[in-house]
Amino acid sequence: MRSDRLRRRHATTKCFRLLCAAVAWAGIVILAVLLFHVSREGIRWLDLQFLTEFPSRFPEQAGIKSALWGTVWLIILTAGISIPVGVAAAIYLEEFSPKNRLSQLIEVNIGNLAGVPSIVYGILGLVLFVRFLALGRSVLAGSLTMTLLILPVIIIAAREALRAVPDSIRQAAFALGATRWQAVRAQVLPVALPGILTGVILAMSRAIGETAPLVMIGALTYVAFVPEGPMDAFTALPIQIFNWASRPQENFHQLAAAGIIVLLVTLLLMNATAVWIRQRAERTGR
Amino acid sequence: MNTLTKSDAQTLSTEQARPVLDVIDVTIRYGEKPAINKVSLSIPQHRITAIIGPSGCGKSTLLRAFNRMNDFIPNVGMEGQILYMGSDIYARQVDPVEVRRRIGMVFQKPNPFPKSIFQNVAWGPSINGFSGNLEARVEQSIRRAALWEEVSDRLHESALALSGGQQQRLCIARALAMEPDVILMDEPCSALDPVSTARIEDLMFELKERYTIVIVTHNMQQAARVSNLTAFLENGSLVEFGETDQVFTRPQHKRTEDYVTGRFG
Repeated sequence: MRSDRLRRRHATTKCFRLLCAAVAWAGIVILAVLLFHVSREGIRWLDLQFLTEFPSRFPEQAGIKSALWGTVWLIILTAGISIPVGVAAAIYLEEFSPKNRLSQLIEVNIGNLAGVPSIVYGILGLVLFVRFLALGRSVLAGSLTMTLLILPVIIIAAREALRAVPDSIRQAAFALGATRWQAVRAQVLPVALPGILTGVILAMSRAIGETAPLVMIGALTYVAFVPEGPMDAFTALPIQIFNWASRPQENFHQLAAAGIIVLLVTLLLMNATAVWIRQRAERTGR
Repeated sequence: MNTLTKSDAQTLSTEQARPVLDVIDVTIRYGEKPAINKVSLSIPQHRITAIIGPSGCGKSTLLRAFNRMNDFIPNVGMEGQILYMGSDIYARQVDPVEVRRRIGMVFQKPNPFPKSIFQNVAWGPSINGFSGNLEARVEQSIRRAALWEEVSDRLHESALALSGGQQQRLCIARALAMEPDVILMDEPCSALDPVSTARIEDLMFELKERYTIVIVTHNMQQAARVSNLTAFLENGSLVEFGETDQVFTRPQHKRTEDYVTGRFG
């Protein structure tokens, strides 16, 4: 009787484990199918020329140089603005600001902002950066719009990471006569850094793939030059892919697939760099 | 102060030893509810003063008032005065950071920074503008915490690799590196095994020659073993305060007697 019930309990555990494994593998399988499908279509177009040529109306001569460089500009500027601002905001909210009605209101609003559709940020970017601040359809305007889009994500992730730092570490620092800044800078931030970086990775991955806000602020779809400064017009990988995919000719669809591979590889490289930085931070933190 | 020798200090009674901390009519509230109610006592120099009492009697709250660690808890209100060497540490012009440099603290659970042993001890002096020989200061502090023999060959390894008892002695070394006058210990042995506890108690005996120690403990045997003076708190009020021998063998109050003989708490 008793062993029977025990057997049933073990069976439940087994079922649950299998279910979890199935769900975990589903994600990997879907990604693999996607990659396989895309590579089969696009791999043939993927060569050095594809990376070094500007787009063309002849598929054989078309490349994604301008889109790739536009994305690189966009990512560097967006990261340069959003990471310091987002992390600083999180540090302020978590470590310095008094916990009152106002800070609760801010917290709820940041949560809401993270859920606002990206097209809305595009409209805001168009009105605020492109028109009102007269930045035009520049990389800078695009990056600022992307910054708005991912700031809530960075702030929320960084706050979670700071909140996960045991309070005993802060107490230890304060008891040694540290000021708040000294405690945060030397003891709290290093412990929170891996978590903050994880949030930054997610946020930047979102920025690199977003299309809607860029279309909204008027990033160009056909660009035959590489931006040389933050005020130059630009296009980005997702826009170029969208442009190719919406053409009727089959060859352009295959070009779009090749573009997707480039986009995924860029994303992968970026994430790998961030993971490497995170692991280094974890090691020195121990 | 410096003219006192060790034997002088031991022969001095409570009244004669110079008070380092004077607690005058202190009431501490969390919101409305008082956690400490009109407590007055003075803590003499180079002695170990134990604060005992049942859980929730406010002993930690009182201890944390001595280095203004309660400042970090929202809605804490305090009335009365706490004088350190005669000056009010809650006076408007006093910077709490300055207070904590003079009055160090060791916590209930060992809380070393997730860094090397060396960095744990060196950080306090280095953020407080120490310009002398940092290595010497670190070595001296670790020696005083009776940890040097065990860690001298691995100063640059992680503090988290040490055992619980070693970590707690490292936390003591970290506090000593600030050269404080007073060391507050909040149940420093409650997370440790008996052997580690004995080592820390031995250490306290050595430390009291240079420092004034205030220890909060729920362990009455520990209070009886290590302290010169004992304060018994119950429900936020000071029931009895006196020489440890007297509190444990000839308590003046019934409640104290019931508590120290283990009838409750």
